[in-house]
Amino acid sequence: MASIMTSNYQPAVSAVSTGTLSQPDWLTSELSTGTTIAAVEFDGGVIIGADSRTTSGAYIANRVTDKLTKVTDYIYCCRSGSAADTQAVADIVNYHLNFYKMEMGEEPLVKTAASVFRTLCYNNRDSLSAGILVAGWDKRNGGQVYTIPLGGMWTRMPVAIGGSGSTYLYGYADANYKPGMTKDECLKFIANAISLAINRDGSSGGVIRLACITKDGVERHVLTGDQLPKFYEDS
Amino acid sequence: MSIMSYNGAAIMAMKGKECVAIAADRRFGIQAQTINTQFDKIFEMGPKLYVGLPGLATDVQTVAQRLKFRLNLYELKENRNIKPKTFLSMVSNLLYSRRFGPYFVEPVIAGLDPKTSEPFIASLDLIGCPMITEDFVVSGTCSEQMYGMCETLYKPDQEPDDLFETISQCLLNAVDRDAVSGWGGVVYIIEKDKVTKRILKGRMD
Repeated sequence: MASIMTSNYQPAVSAVSTGTLSQPDWLTSELSTGTTIAAVEFDGGVIIGADSRTTSGAYIANRVTDKLTKVTDYIYCCRSGSAADTQAVADIVNYHLNFYKMEMGEEPLVKTAASVFRTLCYNNRDSLSAGILVAGWDKRNGGQVYTIPLGGMWTRMPVAIGGSGSTYLYGYADANYKPGMTKDECLKFIANAISLAINRDGSSGGVIRLACITKDGVERHVLTGDQLPKFYEDS
Repeated sequence: MSIMSYNGAAIMAMKGKECVAIAADRRFGIQAQTINTQFDKIFEMGPKLYVGLPGLATDVQTVAQRLKFRLNLYELKENRNIKPKTFLSMVSNLLYSRRFGPYFVEPVIAGLDPKTSEPFIASLDLIGCPMITEDFVVSGTCSEQMYGMCETLYKPDQEPDDLFETISQCLLNAVDRDAVSGWGGVVYIIEKDKVTKRILKGRMD
């Protein structure tokens, strides 16, 4: 830090206190997947979606992030909150579920995966900053979505949203979700939702990553540039 | 949370051959939330003199209004258009008058001399320190990104159309790496006989 003054005088406002002389915020801020994530169940599977922006303060550290992380072949999680925390937790869950699959000789249930996530998030709730959606397909209960917000509680929901951008989607979800939607209607629903949030939330942006999980496995899509659903903007 | 990044902004100005360009993003937001995507941050202060004001939005508007007030009085007394360099001193004086409780704006000035049409660009910090450069000036929440883009793409003595392309690419790619600026752009190309205002279509995220 430049210290050319010899006296102890510290002005109330200076270049230092407004941050331009000391370190820029992208060197000191923790990486956050600011984010918008969403997941919805349909008969036969789930659709999950997320934006692709990782920020360090206001700097966009990664604009093509993949926030849809595999924990088993049929179960994915959507990560929001601290990038480090969610990556670490997802890795540990992946390990546990691999072990489970080897021991039991069959795919773990979505509920099991969500339970492992919940245990980690609850027991370490004071240290973690992680909001996770767990979604997948299993042969006992078909498509399921579980939400695990900040404190570590878990609950199954037919449609779930998360991340800083989700505040802009509560109205949209309530108005547009109907039980019994088809796979394509669900894809449109999620894509529209993420697009709306990206437009309003500074911590969300980039491309829309979508995944469809059914008994046949996972199908991934990316919507870039002009493919993003468009809505009203006055100009 | 820094006051200078509460609303978010990105402004830059560049010199070309007998012309100057000034460009800004169009977002008005409150921290992470975007409220408006047509917020003007470049203000006309004379027929060929423009000032761009990034920083706290309330001060952007107040400083523009107070500056215009002082400028109007100047032009009435002197009965002529102000020179860009003199205007720079006027801005500097206004900002320094609030040295210990400043306006949270870091202005960028671009214009042509009213008599000689010589190009002029300059910027100031929030307490009025003036800086005149020969190539480009940047200011805003993504200033590091803008410096990188300008250093890479800038060439001296470009024609107005080429200058437009250069400054547009510099602005759009810099704001794409900043979460609190962007959502469209506006570019003014100021030449001896005309000023062209163009709206840039950019990523709205």
